[in-house]
Amino acid sequence: MAEIVLRDLVKHFGSAVAVAGVHLQIEDGEFLIMVGPSGCGKTTTLNMISGLETPTSGEIFIGDQVVNDLEPGERGLGMVFQDLALFPHMTVFENIAFGLRVKKTEEAEVERRVRAAADAMHIGALLDKRPSECSGGEAQRVALARTIVNDPSVFLMDEPLSSLDAKLRLDMRTELKHLHHRLRATFVYVTHDQAEAMTMADRIVVMEGGRIEQVGAPLEIYRRPASRFVAGFFGVPTMNFLEGEVAAGAGDGLEFRSTRVVQPLSASTPAAVAGSAATLGVRAEHVRLAPSDDGAGRVTLTEPLGDETLVFFEFGGSAPLVAKVDPDSPLGPGDPVAFDFDRDWCHLFDPESGARLN
Amino acid sequence: MAGSRQPAAAGAAPPSRGRPPPGRRLAAWLSQERVFRLIPFIAVEAVFILVIIIPFILTIYISLLRWRANRPFEQANFSGFLNYGRVLGKDEFWMALGRTFYFAGAAVILELLIGFVLAYLLHRHFRGRRLYITIFLAPMMVVPVVVGYNFSMIYVDSGPLNEILAPFLEPFGIDPRIRWLSHPLAAQWAIILADVWQWTSLTFLIFLSGFAALPQQLVDAARVLGASPSQIFWRVHLPLLKPAIIIAVVIRSMEALKMFDPVVLLTFGGPGISTQTIAYYLWQEVWVFNKYSYGAAASILLLIFFAVFIFLGIWLLVRQRESVRRVDV
Repeated sequence: MAEIVLRDLVKHFGSAVAVAGVHLQIEDGEFLIMVGPSGCGKTTTLNMISGLETPTSGEIFIGDQVVNDLEPGERGLGMVFQDLALFPHMTVFENIAFGLRVKKTEEAEVERRVRAAADAMHIGALLDKRPSECSGGEAQRVALARTIVNDPSVFLMDEPLSSLDAKLRLDMRTELKHLHHRLRATFVYVTHDQAEAMTMADRIVVMEGGRIEQVGAPLEIYRRPASRFVAGFFGVPTMNFLEGEVAAGAGDGLEFRSTRVVQPLSASTPAAVAGSAATLGVRAEHVRLAPSDDGAGRVTLTEPLGDETLVFFEFGGSAPLVAKVDPDSPLGPGDPVAFDFDRDWCHLFDPESGARLN
Repeated sequence: MAGSRQPAAAGAAPPSRGRPPPGRRLAAWLSQERVFRLIPFIAVEAVFILVIIIPFILTIYISLLRWRANRPFEQANFSGFLNYGRVLGKDEFWMALGRTFYFAGAAVILELLIGFVLAYLLHRHFRGRRLYITIFLAPMMVVPVVVGYNFSMIYVDSGPLNEILAPFLEPFGIDPRIRWLSHPLAAQWAIILADVWQWTSLTFLIFLSGFAALPQQLVDAARVLGASPSQIFWRVHLPLLKPAIIIAVVIRSMEALKMFDPVVLLTFGGPGISTQTIAYYLWQEVWVFNKYSYGAAASILLLIFFAVFIFLGIWLLVRQRESVRRVDV
């Protein structure tokens, strides 16, 4: 049983508040990813789960047991570190065997389990090498093998892919997902890369300023961000934001008004927001563009990505907008365009608190 | 297009000038890339040749002569390896050499152990840490003459050291008036302890920087893998500190084998010759008895002995480091 519960977890470093009351339940066998910008408290939270940091207050449960006072090695966890933390003075074999040998496991058993873990991670040929002789991807696999050999019920990972190049990172993402399916263990993974979080997680925890901003499935977070911060953090390119106000529209519905933009809102928008200032958020794929000589926008830049093209355009507002269009679109810099937004995918946020309004 | 550029390029050509003065020509020559990068190299080599190579060759030359400084150099005659034979055949030389290894061995081992323990205790951050570090580094900065003077006061028969030891010794019927500087064995340890007091600071500093350079994530990884504090010390800290240990051993051994100041300041080699180190012995042979060529031969032999000893030590430590990697944890 490897359910983890964090109850009102707080961590202060002197007068600085790193984690300001985290309440979270991580299900057994779940792949949970904590994501957020640097300094948001995600690594500190992970370190408190591992036992490397002591909470200022709050409780950590692993299974039914409060583990606050247990040493890291007594919690039945495995951890992969940001710079992998392989012991440079030991061979790959000795690195993988370290956890077994400090627990005085019989040497025959050590040999058998190390070879099994190495084979599972396809590093059987590296056992006599030193970490310095391994490539980035190989070292990554050694770190994973060192963790899986101890058969932990919980895997903690602190930005383990950050030191890899882009191609290898993509490969390792797939591999980690396979590993999770195979082991069915609980994975708690920390990253600042929203793409990693989107592609691997069963659930994502978005953190900011030591607090949880939103917890949800990747698509839920992408489609219904709980705050302007979450909306801006997820998605490439960044969501378009316009400052304005919500007012009663021509028919029954509401509309959003800003400089040169009047956008009808979906019928599900709560009537209570009428008359209040708001930030409209809309993703690039929900901006519709059409060439038009009398359109309000003018294309400033295009970025072809192969499968789609990003079109940046000015419209007289405070910042340019970006739209995703078909890669064969004839639009180019200087072209006049007309634009509007898909009303079902317009997000409204409070300009003060950033909280979602619709 | 190319044709239209041609006249402009020709028009931009610099007008021809006369030859620059010799000073500027030298400066221009020196500032060339192939010359300029050699200048620091030549300066260093010149200092190296002047300060090391020439005196070294001169020492070898003098060691092959028969010459005392109280006689004119013109009367010195070539004697081949006679001086070397005399040095190697002299009991005092071997006794002084043996004593030096004994003093240096005891002092360096104590300095390494105490320095390591102090650095281990102070490598974590806590309140007042900087104050302790400053206190432990202070002895290294004291002038050796002052250290010698202080210890000569401490070692006086009715001095503070005997006063402190008295309550521990008297219950066992031991006379607490230890004659630190006039009993052969006590005098030897008096010199060793003075050296340890002054130079533990250096090993402490080396180990402290070694601990500071240890990546915390390795210790964290070992903790998560279930290692106890003692397992982390023996299997992570110690092997990773081997380079710092080697540096401390080499630097301190090289210095301790030249131990001279405390001997002069505390005992003048006495009582008898019981605290004569090889440096003191050589000083006496050369500066008191004017045996320059004998001293030169002894210096060359010592250089060979010490070099072999230091390299053997390094080789043993490095080999031990290799075996630590293979030892079962």
